[in-house]
Amino acid sequence: MSIKRIKAILLLDFFISKQSLEIIFDVFIFPIFTNIIVFGFFTLYLTRNNFGYDPTSILIGMIYWQPIFVISYSIGVGSLWNIWAKNLTNIFISPISTNEYLIAYSFSGLFKGLLILILGYIVSFFIFKINVFSIGLFSSLLYFINVSIFGLSFGIFCLGLVFRFGTRIQALSWGLIFILQPIMAVIYPVSILPKPFQFVAYLFPPTYVFEAIRNNLSGVPDTSLFIVKAFLLNILWFIFSIYFFRMMLKKSKEIGQFSKLEI
Amino acid sequence: MAVLQVKNLVKKFRSFTAVDNISFELKEGEVLGLLGPNGAGKTTTIQMLLGTITPTQGTINYFEKDFSKHQQESLQLINYSSAFNSLQGRITVWENLLVFALLYQVEDPKAKIEKLTKYFEVYELLESQYKDLSSGQQTRINIVKSLLNAPKILLMDEPTASLDPDISDKLLTFIEEIKSKHNLAILYTSHNMKEVTRICDRVIFMDKGNIVAQDTPEALIKKLGKTNLEHVFLEIVRGK
Repeated sequence: MSIKRIKAILLLDFFISKQSLEIIFDVFIFPIFTNIIVFGFFTLYLTRNNFGYDPTSILIGMIYWQPIFVISYSIGVGSLWNIWAKNLTNIFISPISTNEYLIAYSFSGLFKGLLILILGYIVSFFIFKINVFSIGLFSSLLYFINVSIFGLSFGIFCLGLVFRFGTRIQALSWGLIFILQPIMAVIYPVSILPKPFQFVAYLFPPTYVFEAIRNNLSGVPDTSLFIVKAFLLNILWFIFSIYFFRMMLKKSKEIGQFSKLEI
Repeated sequence: MAVLQVKNLVKKFRSFTAVDNISFELKEGEVLGLLGPNGAGKTTTIQMLLGTITPTQGTINYFEKDFSKHQQESLQLINYSSAFNSLQGRITVWENLLVFALLYQVEDPKAKIEKLTKYFEVYELLESQYKDLSSGQQTRINIVKSLLNAPKILLMDEPTASLDPDISDKLLTFIEEIKSKHNLAILYTSHNMKEVTRICDRVIFMDKGNIVAQDTPEALIKKLGKTNLEHVFLEIVRGK
């Protein structure tokens, strides 16, 4: 494991990000405007009309959704920038290991995920007067850790798909997560979902986080069971995603897809 | 001493055999030309040598170590330059080269980058964005990138494809210099038979995945009774 090589990829990602308005818009501007601000106003509307339900969980749910998207996006699209520039081969024929490559993009994703979370807190507090830390400082940290690990796993899973099937499925890197969003019950309780979907929902660690947030806000302070379940599932997801990525990369090199990624 | 040994290398894509049981060696300080028409299997061979395609059969040894088991160690000692790869277009030349200097754990990246870019007359482009350069300038930057780690083996895939005659000659002179000074081994593909004749100690002709001829350029010209390597190429390709 070489810190220098990890630093190299982090620097590369930083150099590209600072030059690319697309990344700044995708990772920061759009999530704030289309998610935090829209759902912030929706939360205000529900609060003022007293529907007999604490709608704060909607905004807080959306705030904790952002790191999942941003982290998985960073891992997938970070690599796509190298593919689009025909630079991926140059990187993979250097002595960097697959682990170093994934660690670097994971760090980059985590940093961006933390930034979007902080931005979400700020917008929520100053525009909507909602203090996210009302769910507890320690809980907030545990929730962030759990959604982040899932974001990493999902990003690595999607990257494996792109390496195996090529850029024709590149949209999955930024879009697939949105297909899962309704199932993970970000802004409504899992009980709303049809029974078979409830079973599927509980296969995803973030579902437990969002359920825990709703419990916190409805006056149930002990959400440790949700957190433990989320964490255990996250471990399984993480191991699976690494295994899946390695299998996909291996297959891609066997069938010649990897060397055609840049064509 | 052979720095690269390829034994019985095969690559099949389903029923299509792209590389069919080839074996060859690259010696220290040798420039070996890998020639052949389009679709001969040269690129697939190079991709296997770089680890971006997994061979179906056969072994690749760098410095007597099995590449499949010592990939990172081997990749630290080799590098690759191609007219068909690029660096990141949106970032500066300096930023690109710094990233690769760190990837190859170069001791003093700044000094190394300055030295190489000055030699290839691209020093003044360091602050330019890579995408704004001409294709000839980009090729020179790619070559600088491929020399950052002072490789023992260099794989060059048509490196002069977009260079003007002046820079092309400079690159060939540089190859001749580093080859004699540092015993650098080079595997070189090109469709320009004049430059192949100039710098290659030995050439391998590939066709339909097989090695169909190998020798020094002079010996092949003599053996086939031709006046130059281009005629040898045409004879081998069309003569079948």
